This record gives sequence, structure tokens and C-alpha cells, in this order.
Amino acid sequence: MRAAWVFCLLLGTLAAYSASEPEGYSAARLYNLANSYARAGKPGMAILNYERASLLSPNDPDVQANLRYVRASAHLPAETPDTFERVATVASPFWVSWMGVLGLMLVGASVILAQLSSRHRLLRAAVTLLGVSMVVLTLCNALALWPRLHQGVVIAAGTPVRVSPVPMGDPLFTLPEGEKVKISAEHEGFALIETRAGRSGWIADSNFAPIMPR
Amino acid sequence: MRRILLAALGVLAMLVAATASADDPLVYATIQPAQILLGESAQFTITNLGDGTNPINIPVVSGLKFEIIGRTREVQIINGTTLPSTSIIMRVTPQIAGIFTIPAVTPKAQPLVLQVNAAASGASIPHPSGSSAPIPPPILSGGSIPKGVRLTDDGSAYVRLSVPKREVYVGESVPVEIEVGMRSGFVASINGMPKLTDDDFTLNSLSHQPERTEKLINGEPFVLLTWRSTLAVIKPGAFALSAEVPLTVKIRTRPKQQSSLDDRFGDPFWQNLFGATVPKDINVTSPAQELTVHELPAEGRPVDFHGAIGTFSIASDVSPIKAEVGDPLTVRMRITGSGNFDRVDSSMLDHLDQWKTYPPKSSFNTSDPLSFSGMKTFEQPVIASKPGVQELPGLTFSYFDPNTRRYETARSAPLTVSISPALADSRSAPEPPSTASSSENKYAAGLRADHVETSAVSSLVPLYLQPRFLAVPSIVVLAFAAGWLGARRRRGAGEWESGSDRIASRAAKRALAQMQAAARAGDAALFFEAARTALQPLLASRWQLEPEQITTAEVEGRVGADNDVRQLFALADEAKYSGRKLNATDFARWLRIVRRQLMSDKTP
Repeated sequence: MRAAWVFCLLLGTLAAYSASEPEGYSAARLYNLANSYARAGKPGMAILNYERASLLSPNDPDVQANLRYVRASAHLPAETPDTFERVATVASPFWVSWMGVLGLMLVGASVILAQLSSRHRLLRAAVTLLGVSMVVLTLCNALALWPRLHQGVVIAAGTPVRVSPVPMGDPLFTLPEGEKVKISAEHEGFALIETRAGRSGWIADSNFAPIMPR
Repeated sequence: MRRILLAALGVLAMLVAATASADDPLVYATIQPAQILLGESAQFTITNLGDGTNPINIPVVSGLKFEIIGRTREVQIINGTTLPSTSIIMRVTPQIAGIFTIPAVTPKAQPLVLQVNAAASGASIPHPSGSSAPIPPPILSGGSIPKGVRLTDDGSAYVRLSVPKREVYVGESVPVEIEVGMRSGFVASINGMPKLTDDDFTLNSLSHQPERTEKLINGEPFVLLTWRSTLAVIKPGAFALSAEVPLTVKIRTRPKQQSSLDDRFGDPFWQNLFGATVPKDINVTSPAQELTVHELPAEGRPVDFHGAIGTFSIASDVSPIKAEVGDPLTVRMRITGSGNFDRVDSSMLDHLDQWKTYPPKSSFNTSDPLSFSGMKTFEQPVIASKPGVQELPGLTFSYFDPNTRRYETARSAPLTVSISPALADSRSAPEPPSTASSSENKYAAGLRADHVETSAVSSLVPLYLQPRFLAVPSIVVLAFAAGWLGARRRRGAGEWESGSDRIASRAAKRALAQMQAAARAGDAALFFEAARTALQPLLASRWQLEPEQITTAEVEGRVGADNDVRQLFALADEAKYSGRKLNATDFARWLRIVRRQLMSDKTP
């Protein structure tokens, strides 16, 4: 009776999350938007929306191909994901989330069955292993995506990186449009960023956009 | 060279004149330079070698203006004869260009020629010798001692403090001028900067290098040093203000009546030459000036008044006037005028709706060395947070005007800017940019085709990081934890029961061991007692009684008189008192019966 109640709850939740939201984000919409920006000659906004599309659909070959193409056209270095990132993002975060829930259910059921009966030990071990694998995949997906949740894309050409978070702060260096930076802190309309080379400074909010919209 | 030549000619003329007629006074004239530009002046000197009693007529030349600027007295020694001379120095200023002939001052002297070239054209009249005219030396201007100023007793120096107003306000800056006049040759040195005699005033921006001029005052050459500064008033009240300067002057060591040279020539050169003066340090003080200092009125003082006193006006602008949300704009406020600019301050715009404001920076531009007048510019960065046509309110600046004796507030006009939505704000489903005019750009060529629209999600945040989704795994975990606890409790109850059995089993084993030991010893009483002790808890558990209630009669009443258990209890009672002996076969038989009872869960 209790298991049936949990199952119904999960089905209802899944149905609610699967319902489409016409005004929200979709991988196709972001991808098309990025293509439009690229055709308009705005590589920063194009790269930003490709990155956002890849969050929803990490294995979409068109998104990855166009992202690489625009980055190369903007003379930005290519980004090659490592093995861990490729494995961890084998599915979209949406499905990985539900896989994690399913994994929890498998592990829980196996543990409860082990308490009730000592029969079918091999089957229970296999189910437990499958459930743990699903949970681990969810955790790895979160670890792989976590840095991107705190990154931004420079959307203005020759963006000055300043020594202090004020418009009249002395510029340290400039960033090209489309450069991806790590956002460390924010203060009064400015963000403390760190480049892949390890250089850091403050840039105005109007010159960059976070991959994860606020 | 020219001067040397002229001096040699003069001396030669003197000697010739002296040999010609020793009794006639010699009068001659010189002009330097002999060639000047229009707008310049030349120095015309008439020297009278004699007692100076002969009248000298000032020449009159059409187109030339003669002005007497000084008189000198000298003594020349020629062939051992002391010859006094007097000179009249005149400034000759031409009114027009041309060649002028200045008539001889005496019938026996020669006329002089002055060439005046037109300055603008630059075309000069050729000089017979072909040499260019030397730059004329500065000519002392004449005048009298300034009004209200008194010389020191020996007439060597004076100090003048010039304050433009008699009523000022606390905190107000007033430009002042301190002039020190020193008679040439009478003052040896200045030993310090000018200072005020009252500690309630301070001199700000006092120039370290005073302006130096020379002037004839009452016919005597004076060197004038002028310092400029701003006077700052510290507290209210009525004050007599004066300035003083430390000097070292040369004073006479003999009474004036005993100094024949001084009587004769009145020149400090002769006093120094004959050791008639000694240096002395003195403080020369200017005449006191009455000054009334008022407190600033408390009535009508604006909230944003920061202590600025003077006369000011403001203007403001913003740039750029078109920007995107998030772009920094710069609002400038320029305050021009005169007054204490060090107290001119403004926080400009603060806490504006839909705007993010930053503290302004200021800079001051002035060509005034006293920084009394100029323009102070405030620059404030502001950032619009919402799109649309926005209006920045007008800026205000409050100050106290000492002329009108009241607080004034200068206002600037509001500023209008156009703010467009930020490019980066794509959260609200932005419209794709137009591609019609940019199809040729380098990014468009290698792009893959667009996708068909699919279902959308409300957020890009991964589902497992969304708070409302996290409720699902939490519920799952809690549900399975509860199930696990329930299963564990059920299993725990079963384990308690089996544990009781294990405990009973251990007691039965101990009882069987005692029985076996008693059988080996042939002790029937101990054997049956151990048997009864082993069976009593077992039977008590089955019949829901206390172990002490399991007696022979109870067993007989429940299982009958022929049952082995009843017989065992009866034999136990009998053996306890009769000392009955059993053989090994009987021991083995009763041991099997007891073991069977202990291992069986059925009622005997």
C-alpha cells in the first residue's frame, strides 16, 4: 500500500514536469536563437545561447558543431570535453534527475527486501548495483555541470576588465567577445571574473551574460 | 659696446670742454637706444657737470613725448679733481614712426637723432652702421607712496596689506595682497615670509616667489615685492589686522648732520663706502585694518549646504544620452565662480528609482594661482536598470553669497536620456535579431540548420537542483527509510523470540549436563531434582504459569497420572526423602524422556 502511494506520487510529479511551458526555455529555441545571433554577426550572444542549449541537450550534434564553428570563427580556442564530462553528460539533466530518483527507489526496494527475506540474493544485488549506478550518474552530472552554472560569456567586443568594480576603475586587460569566464563574485553591477588563463578582474554586468540566467 | 663708446665719447667731450673753458659748466645729453620700434620708449639723459644751478630746458619735439622719471647726483674724479654732476632722466615715447632730431640742450652741444621704426610692418629704416638696435632697458615708473602706508623711520621700507572688504564671514576666503617696498641699497635682506599679526586668520596659498617690480617713490628707487594669498577667517568678531615682514636694514651709525657725504649726495652708496651703516634686523608692520567677521546665519540654511561661500553658478549634462540597460552613463555638474572652492561639494544624485548611482568624483580647474576662482567639475556614474525614456532630475548646489548676505541655491535643468533594453537580457524570450543585412558575415556560412521547436521547460537550472524537484527524492528516501525501519522492526521481533528459545535451550543443556553428572555419580535425588528444575520453566511457559506453580499435583491435573512427566515429578519428590537408588538403565531412560521434553514444543 505504501509503495503504491509513492509510485503514484512519482508518476504525478513526472507528468507535471513533462508538461510543456510555451514561454520557457527549450534546446531548439535556444539553438535557433543562437543561430540568429551568429548570422547577425554577434558571436558573444550566439555562443551564450549555444551554451544554454547544450545545458538542455548536451549531446545534440548540431549545437556542439555550431558552437565549435562560431568559437573558431571568433578566433577563440576550441574546448574539448574530457572523458568524465562526456560520460557524465550522456543524458540531459532532466532525464538524469529522474534516473537518480529511480536509482534511489531501486536501492531502497532492494534494502527493504533484504530485510524481509533472504531469498534471491543475486537479483537483489543486481538491482542495488543498478540503482547505485543511477544515483552516481546523477551526482557526476551535477559535478560536470556545476562549473558551467557559474560561468558567463562576454557579449561585447573588447570588454575592459577593471581593477575595481566601478566604471572609472583602471582597466587591467580586455576580453574578446564570446570568451567564457568564471564568475567569482558580484558587486554593484560588476562581476569579478576569472579567465581560463587565471587572470581576474571586474567587468560590468552589461558586458557579459551568465550561462545560467538569473 | 655702444654704452662704452658713448661713455668714452662723453668723457672725451668733457676733457675737451674742460681744456677749452674750465669755468663754463658742461652740459651734454645722451639717448639710449638711438633706434626703437613704435610703441617702445628710449631713455634720454641730460647730464650737468657742475653745480647744477644752470637751468636745463626740456626739449620739445613734435611726435615725441618727454617725461621726467628721475634725477641722480654723482661725483666724478677727473685728474684728481672732484667733479659733481647731476642728471635728469627722461622717458622718450614716440607717437609716430620716423626719424626725429632732438635739439641740443645747450648752444654748444650737438643735436641727437632718434629713429623710430614701425612695429607692425617690420620694415625698419636702415641704420648707417647696419647694426640692430639693442633692447631698451626697463624704465622705472614714477609715483608716490601708497595711501595709508607709512615708511619706516629711516625711510628704508614699508609693508602694505590690501584687503578688498571690511566685512567677511567665518569660512569665507578673501583674496589679499601684501606688498613690501624696499628702498634700493637700504635693505640688506628679507628674513622670512610675510605673516599676519593675528592668529585668528590664516593665509592660504601664499606664493613663495613674490612678484618683483621696481618703482620710483617720491623720486627714490624702490624694489617692490608683492605676495598674493587668500585670507581665511576662523572665528567671528572685530579685528585689527596687519601684516609684518622681517627685514635686515642698513642703519646710519653717525648723526645725519655729521655725514657730509650723505648731506651732499644722499646716496647709500657713499654711506656703505665709508662704513657709515650697520645691518639691523627689524619687523616692518603694515598699518592695521579694521575687519569685522560675521557668523554665517542659521536661518534659511539649506540642507545640502556644505560651507561654500562665494558666488557660483552651475550647469549639468549627461553622456551618452542613448544607452542600454546596464550601460554606465556619466552625469557632470560644473560649478563655476569664485569663493572657497575647497568647501564646494555635492553628493549629486542619490537613491534614484530605476537608477543605480555611484559616488561622484570631482576635479578643479583654475588659472588663478590662489584657486579662488575657477570651475569645479563633478562626475557621477549612473546605470539605468529599466528601459525607456528616463529623466534625471535637475541638480542643485547651495552656497552662501556674501554680497547678498543670504543662502542661494543654484539649480540645473533635468536631463533626459533614452535607455534601450539590454542585449544580454534574453530571459524574457528575446526576438531573434534581424539577419537580412548581415547574411554575408563570416559566422553565417558554416552554421547548421535551425531546429523545429520542441517543448520548453521553465528554467535552465538542472532539475536535480530545483527546490521543488528535490522534494521527490526526499520523499522517496523518507518512504523507503520508513519501510526499512518497519521491516527491521518486524525482523527484530522474530529475532527476540528465537533469542528466548536460545536462552531456554542453553538452560536445558545445563540441566541435561547436571543430570548426566548425577547419573554418573549415582545420585538419584540430584538427578531428578535437576530434571524437575529443567522442566519447570518449560512447562510454566507452555501453561502460562509461574515456574513455582509447576508441582506434581499441577502436572497430574493437566497431563494425567500415567504421564512420564508426572511420574518424573513424583519420583523427584520420592528420591528427595527416600534415598532411592537407580541403575544406569533407569538413568538413561529418564534422561531420554527429559531430553525429548526439552526439545519438543508440544505439550507432554
